[in-house]
Amino acid sequence: MSVAPALASGPAPVRPLPPEAYARMTLVLRLGLIVALAILGGGVVVYVLVNPGMTSSAVLSNNPILNYLSVAGLGSGLATGSVSAVLTLGLIVLVATPILRVVSGLYFFAKVGERAMAAITFTVLLLLLLGILVIGPFVR
Amino acid sequence: MDLALFVVLIILLGIAAGLVGSLTGLGGGVVVIPLLIVFFGASVPIAIGTGFVTILATSSATGAAYVRDRLSDIRIGMFLEIATVPGALVGATATVLITHANLESALLVAFGIVLFAIIPGSLARRHIELPTPQPQDARSRYLGLTGSYHDNALDQDVTYQAARTTPAMGVMFGAGVVSGMFGIGGGVFKVLALERFLNLPMKVSTATSNFMIGVTAAAGAGVMLAAGYVNPIVAAPVAIGTSLGAYLGSRVLPGLRNRTVRLLFLPVVAALAIEMVLRGFGLP
Repeated sequence: MSVAPALASGPAPVRPLPPEAYARMTLVLRLGLIVALAILGGGVVVYVLVNPGMTSSAVLSNNPILNYLSVAGLGSGLATGSVSAVLTLGLIVLVATPILRVVSGLYFFAKVGERAMAAITFTVLLLLLLGILVIGPFVR
Repeated sequence: MDLALFVVLIILLGIAAGLVGSLTGLGGGVVVIPLLIVFFGASVPIAIGTGFVTILATSSATGAAYVRDRLSDIRIGMFLEIATVPGALVGATATVLITHANLESALLVAFGIVLFAIIPGSLARRHIELPTPQPQDARSRYLGLTGSYHDNALDQDVTYQAARTTPAMGVMFGAGVVSGMFGIGGGVFKVLALERFLNLPMKVSTATSNFMIGVTAAAGAGVMLAAGYVNPIVAAPVAIGTSLGAYLGSRVLPGLRNRTVRLLFLPVVAALAIEMVLRGFGLP
């Protein structure tokens, strides 16, 4: 990585990211949110329709996604058309949206050759995955 | 309560939270979490898990606009996430463990105290004028933590550079812990670090804080979701409502003055804070 020399008193040079980085991140956020809302919105309507007479306290005391928090459980739930599995998928997309933004940041820092920033972004990505894949299931 | 009615009421709660959040800069979580506990009978961890969903929806809905306008400093935001994300992992893990230990009431008292702590920061008058430039530290210089944007109100291009990154990282870690523990954005603490320590202009601080809040919330939400503390029948209507509210707040009501809304809203936060503390102590 080349660090441009700068006088201690003078303003440091600005190293802007390529303009498409901003466009890409805006797109990731928009698309992720729209997809998540579509899945969650459709899912919750169907859930209410197929569970007539159910009360809110029943749902609150027994979280319907508990069977779908493993890859195998989610896969078989989706394959059998379980509404709760679809809702779990919607939540995963919602959580994944900012994570995809980090991935896109990593891509652009790597592309412009900023190794230090790319390493920082990669560490952030690893920590996010650690929370979902290791810490969360471990403390369940 | 009938499930259909419950879902409709939660959507309305989400719309209110999204509106208030986008108009005041306070995340919707500070309203959603206490109201879910008090009026809808949600358990503390489920309410907190829903808080994350509120933040994710608000941050993605409003953050896209900030990123598009290049007010969010992606470089500075990404750099500071190395502090907020571990903080959020620690905070969310603590919340799960506290729940397992049946200490939810302690969590409520702590949440009430955090709500109180947010109030003075939200009341502080934001300075419109640009900060006096301060020298970059070595880390800021090495990572190129500088940027520029066009300020429409001042009609000039503004260049800024980040100072004092070490204390800023400390505050950001703390902001991450608070966010991860309670399912709130912690924007007040993030803006504090960005303005006071990094010495960034107000607009860049606000937009960068919003950018970071989404990633910090993803860290906390990931732990809570994988641990089974996000309930989709609560989270889905909240996500839809908040996105709608945030959209309305940013598009339809831009004329409303932030400070006025904030002054009207803060007594509500104070009342909810008192309610949380009282509940935590088992008082009526």
